[in-house]
Amino acid sequence: MRYGGDNRGRLLLVILIVTSLFLITLDLRGVQLLAGIRSGTQSAFSPIQKFGAKITAPGRNFFGDVTHLGRTRSQIERLKAENENLKTKLINRKAADAELDQLKSTLDLAGRAGYKVVAARVIAQGSTTSFSQTITIDAGTVEGIRDNQTVICGLGLVGVIKQAYSHSALVQLASDPGFKIGARIAGSQQIGILNGQGTRTALLQLLDNESTVKEGDVILARGSQNNRPFVPGVPIGEVISTDNAAGSVTQSADIKFFANFSNVGIVSVVVGTPSGDPRDALVPQAPRPTPVPTVTVYASPSPSTSVKP
Amino acid sequence: MFLRKFAISAPIFVIIYILQEAFVSQLRLTGGGFSLFLIFTLIWCALSEPEVGAMVGFGAGILMDLSESSSGPMGQWTLIMILAGFAIAYLGFGDNNFRSSPISLIVLTVIGVFLARLVYFVVGLMLGNEAGSLQHVLASLIGQSLWALVVAPLLVPIITRVHGLVYESGANL
Repeated sequence: MRYGGDNRGRLLLVILIVTSLFLITLDLRGVQLLAGIRSGTQSAFSPIQKFGAKITAPGRNFFGDVTHLGRTRSQIERLKAENENLKTKLINRKAADAELDQLKSTLDLAGRAGYKVVAARVIAQGSTTSFSQTITIDAGTVEGIRDNQTVICGLGLVGVIKQAYSHSALVQLASDPGFKIGARIAGSQQIGILNGQGTRTALLQLLDNESTVKEGDVILARGSQNNRPFVPGVPIGEVISTDNAAGSVTQSADIKFFANFSNVGIVSVVVGTPSGDPRDALVPQAPRPTPVPTVTVYASPSPSTSVKP
Repeated sequence: MFLRKFAISAPIFVIIYILQEAFVSQLRLTGGGFSLFLIFTLIWCALSEPEVGAMVGFGAGILMDLSESSSGPMGQWTLIMILAGFAIAYLGFGDNNFRSSPISLIVLTVIGVFLARLVYFVVGLMLGNEAGSLQHVLASLIGQSLWALVVAPLLVPIITRVHGLVYESGANL
């Protein structure tokens, strides 16, 4: 039997449809009553929904993971790649910051002395064919670098240009055993010859055995004729031990280089010098101790109350 | 008679509505998930007389309009559910072979879900609602219909039994 319908049923249907259209009209006209009913329902359901969210959280995560398996995997891959990219950027940024610091200190040193310098980046370190201690820099004759020019960093002497090529140059480090430089003790006229020892320590032999040298003395480059290979006044290192044995022909001292050759990244090649000698202007200043405030507490006895019997 | 049947079934619908809002809607399923309440209502209507179907659709539509996930104006779901409830009840009314066949009920429910949501989308466009891209809408329509195809076979035996119990007991009142 198919539904034939009757007037009552049709009337009911029409009433319901008209009611729904009436509701739509009221809502679209912005009647506050309907909005109030909706928000009231939401407020009433809110605790139940919160409870439901708590209950379904494990299942929701499971379903989410299962249904978005492919998407999740690709997202993980994308995030991994992004993470690697950011790590690389961070490393590069740290390296750039370190290079910037070195460059700033190098230019600061050169600026104090009035040197005209060409900044260069260390592109290779060490020699694969011999035991000599060298570095290769990315500036050469095109940039105005010639053989036998002084190479400095922010802390002091690095070495000397051994061989300049068109776009690079080989630098003999001051620590190289074959390295020799005329040096003087800052604040005095005592001179000597400093030899590299293959380590971060060099040997200074004073020419005058009447001279005295003590620990902590700063050693500067004495300078060469026409400022090549060495410009005067470049800090080399400081005395860490002396050998003032009686009867010895000359006095000697162990010098620790200011520059750390193993991590030098940016250097400057001195291509021009002022007419005068900077003398002791480049002697590094001793670090000033930071004052630590001390608080002294005096204990003063408080007046005690005596109890009379 | 219609009102009495409607009143008897109202608490059941409220419970299903709470289940839908509190639990089912929390599951973030692919393809938009499914509406337990919509599927339940359509199956219930398919087992009822057309006037009851319209009344049930009206009540269910009001609840759906009150839902947090409803983006349309109040009454939009009501209108659609009245028509859907009446239509689905009308198709099955008087044909006991049809009502006793679970496959027919499932197919009718899935088509009902698809059409109800499609009409909701079209009416929403007419009323100026934002619906998103056509691709998204199509994916959602197909996804929810497929979910209905999965869920409806699980619900049909339960709803048939509950419907029978409620209406028989109601008839005995």
